Amino acid sequence: MIIGKTKSVCPVCLRVVDAQKRSEKDGIYLDKRCAEHGAFSSLIWEGNLASYLRWNSENTAVDPPREGRAPEKGCPRDCGLCTEHLRKGCCMLLELTRRCNLRCPVCFAAAGEAPKPDLSLEEIEKQYEYLMAHGGPFNIQLSGGEPTVRDDLPRIIRMGLEKGFTFFQLNTNGLRLAAEPGYAETLREAGLNTVFLQFDALDDSVYVTLRGRALLEEKKRCIEACAAAGLGVVLVPVIARGVNEDQVGAILRFALENAPAVRGVHFQPLSYFGRCALARPERPITIPKLLALIEEQTDGLLHASDFYGGGAESAYCSFHASYRIREDGSLKPLPRRQSGGCCTSSDDSRTSVAEQWSGFVPAFDGDDALTETSALDAFLEQARRSTFAVSGMVFQDAWNLDLERLRRCHICEVDSRYGMVPFCAYNLTNQNGEALYR
Amino acid sequence: MAAEKNYYTIDPQGKLMCVKCGVPLEKGKAKFMYLDNGFPVELPVCPRCGFVYVPEELALGKVASVERALEDK
Repeated sequence: MIIGKTKSVCPVCLRVVDAQKRSEKDGIYLDKRCAEHGAFSSLIWEGNLASYLRWNSENTAVDPPREGRAPEKGCPRDCGLCTEHLRKGCCMLLELTRRCNLRCPVCFAAAGEAPKPDLSLEEIEKQYEYLMAHGGPFNIQLSGGEPTVRDDLPRIIRMGLEKGFTFFQLNTNGLRLAAEPGYAETLREAGLNTVFLQFDALDDSVYVTLRGRALLEEKKRCIEACAAAGLGVVLVPVIARGVNEDQVGAILRFALENAPAVRGVHFQPLSYFGRCALARPERPITIPKLLALIEEQTDGLLHASDFYGGGAESAYCSFHASYRIREDGSLKPLPRRQSGGCCTSSDDSRTSVAEQWSGFVPAFDGDDALTETSALDAFLEQARRSTFAVSGMVFQDAWNLDLERLRRCHICEVDSRYGMVPFCAYNLTNQNGEALYR
Repeated sequence: MAAEKNYYTIDPQGKLMCVKCGVPLEKGKAKFMYLDNGFPVELPVCPRCGFVYVPEELALGKVASVERALEDK
């Protein structure tokens, strides 16, 4: 049964094509046909129609880009952002370098291949200024390549603070944080809030497959260093069919054992773009599949029903649950809220993510000569530290791209040539690895 | 509709004054209570009648956050 129409791209030539969503017993599929390259079909939801429709918590409020440009070529070729886009943005990725100290068989940024020169400090300054002029401040994700290969990283963070940004997360493999004494402190003192740590398993064979070598001990050392320095850590596992689906529960248990330094887990089912040594499976991991894995592998600690879809972005791009860790180690799912737990706009989302993922949040500075409220601060900090977040984002590739979802994207890559480009447009590659924007 | 009653004024020097007693508010002990939890704080208090002034940004900010966290417990 056909349940909806949208637009997508041909995975061979990336031409925009009509697409339709089809409901079958075993899931929801996105079907499309390119006049030149034929028909394509991709599983987008592993569940029945009722579960698909029930998941939709889409917020239809208007929250468009600031100073968007007029579209010319049509979505997804006008990014920067254009006025047809529906979200102003929450988190912005700055790709500080294309260099990397690993050579992962799986890398959306295809880092390390004939790397261009690093972004200069002047270019980074211009990008910060561009962001402030187009709806900033946003949360900043310092990314790459591997951003810690740059020795001026602390200076880049301080520059961002001076420009008015308040939340910085480091997208890293953790190798330098694990190896270099004092490095975590240096980044923390510069203003870094969170380490977004690639963490795919508690089994080194998985790292060999996805990252090219054993890494578990270094990951653990990185977490220890961040904890000692007061940096929040979010574990970011890529989950690939046939590689590490069985690691979901172990990762969650490890994260809870290392809370509150580990603030949460953010799953990213593998997307088939950039450099990807793995073949795209017939049934890639969808949101319901991942929630089922979470429930099956955590012995009743977490349940699929604890989770809900994104509020600011498309509900079908992400999932999220927040928990209070009780003293006995059990988890209490926290209710979804209009603000805080659930985000209804890019700004709500930005604040909520920053509070949950940071290692430390400065107390509200409202006290004066007649007011002293540190007891409230202490309680709030304790409550924040006992909150644990489990979330995930399902990126789109050339096979399952839905332009309706893309228009609600609020995670963008910053590129001096274009401006702010939604993540899944920026990283989109065809089956030969050719990109629209990179 | 009755006029909104003011319990305090701000004098030209920016000092908070108790309307009823006509004296400046002073830093004094107070306690927020919610769901069997108490939080000792210090706030501007009238030294005569005990009126406690709670700044709006405190009530809508930190205090509201504490209430939500307690409701989640």
